[in-house]
Amino acid sequence: MKPFEYATALTVESARQLAGANGHYLAGGNDLLGRLKDDITEASRLVNIKAIPGLNRIEPGPQTWRIGALVTIAQIEDHPEIRRVFPGLHQAAAEVGSQQIRNVATLGGNLAQHSRCWYYRHRDIQCLKKRGRICYALEGDNRYHALFTGNVCISPVVSNLAIALTALDATAVVWRDGQERRMTMAELYELAWDNPTAHHSLRPGDLLLRVEIPTVRPRSAYLQISDKHSFDWALVSCAAAARIENGRIHNARIALGCVSPVPHQVTAANQFLEGKNLDEATADQVADLLLAGAQPQEHNAYKIPMARALIRRTLLQLRG
Amino acid sequence: MKPTDASSTGRLSRRDFFKGLGTTAVAAAAAQAESVAQELQKLNAEKVLGPGPVPVTLKVNGKTHRLELEPRVTLLDALRNHLGLTGPKEGCDRAACGACTVWLDGVAIYACQKLAIDAQGHEITTVEGLTPDGRLTPVQQAFVERDALQCGYCTPGFVMSVSALLRKKPKPTVDDVLHACAGNVCRCGTHPRVLEAALIAAGVRPVSMTRTEVISHV
Repeated sequence: MKPFEYATALTVESARQLAGANGHYLAGGNDLLGRLKDDITEASRLVNIKAIPGLNRIEPGPQTWRIGALVTIAQIEDHPEIRRVFPGLHQAAAEVGSQQIRNVATLGGNLAQHSRCWYYRHRDIQCLKKRGRICYALEGDNRYHALFTGNVCISPVVSNLAIALTALDATAVVWRDGQERRMTMAELYELAWDNPTAHHSLRPGDLLLRVEIPTVRPRSAYLQISDKHSFDWALVSCAAAARIENGRIHNARIALGCVSPVPHQVTAANQFLEGKNLDEATADQVADLLLAGAQPQEHNAYKIPMARALIRRTLLQLRG
Repeated sequence: MKPTDASSTGRLSRRDFFKGLGTTAVAAAAAQAESVAQELQKLNAEKVLGPGPVPVTLKVNGKTHRLELEPRVTLLDALRNHLGLTGPKEGCDRAACGACTVWLDGVAIYACQKLAIDAQGHEITTVEGLTPDGRLTPVQQAFVERDALQCGYCTPGFVMSVSALLRKKPKPTVDDVLHACAGNVCRCGTHPRVLEAALIAAGVRPVSMTRTEVISHV
């Protein structure tokens, strides 16, 4: 790693000021230190945000849970009430990295992590996402890339928690310009849809404070398929959340991961589910709606049948 | 080659050489340093440090060490190259292989993907710290009995992962062990033996699993 300065912030505002123009916030550091080691990211200063009070709490509530950005993935995975109230979030956390990573990685870092595209992560390649002129994945090895995109870059969002939290319709609370700004999960990533250099909608200096999760969907599930059985990013992931009454599904949300630069949602698919019985026929129709318009590349067409299987398994898991 | 063999022939082994680098730092360890560490942390809060060497106080295996490190120095580099603790190994240096696994406040972490300056104020335990008296822990003993290693490079990391699991869950299932050790990779392919060793150390009767079945899980 190239040399950098280091500071520990005690408040959100001082973190913002210490970070300045070319500083980076340091929490778990898994993604950031990896990028610094490979010269993907330059930093004149790292600002340790772990001493800021109040960002590491899990606060249950009857209508809404608040989970601080500094809560570790292991804390989410091991929390018995989260497992009961938001099983999909528990499942997504359990699939993150390895035990060593989950023990230090934070919710905020998981949501804000950069693309895993191997062209982006290659120190010698100046791709579109690194403000170069070409997306090398388009003509290259794109087996891990997106089926949908609003721009030329086809690297997908890989945060597990983003997909689970999208299905649970969580709100991200971000510190921007001296005040709290609330974003839906769609808003937290929408910039990456149009802008090839964006990984999410956070601007330099923005600090994720917490997510707020409504409890209106007591059933939730997250499933992924990876090359390896464990300690791997998903090839495709799927999360769904809903309320089920008398065998019928209500207020459902379903999202796919690793197929788009943003958590992939289709309003028509969510609306179609309203009041339906959860069976394979329903799941197949939801898959048609979610995957309509998919544009596979040379090496990633397998993601379409894989996504169909995951949609079916995830929805059927909601039945309990 | 054992270090004693090397010294008797007047040569310096690679390990002794690296350990020698850390002696000044180890000598600086003092009982009072702990309060100094807290004081330093308070003083350093909101202050910009580096990029040159700055005082860094690490508590490793129960001893407090005062070092002068650049902020970019990883915990793994500090342990190996400044404190002479060569139990944690450098494999990938990218939080992917598990050879560098140590404990931070009793839970397993990758020392390669943690800055030393960011590990201040925490209790760090390396494989050397599991056995201050030089005897083997039940986990280490089980690794020996089950021959759960070949080249041995990954072994300290596996021992730390398995031992952390048994602290959290003394009677783990097969899935618990696989989940806890998913972040440790053995290139020699000893995963089935590691699994058996973990279960034996926990006093859990190992189930019969073929090598292929285990490998398909890791």
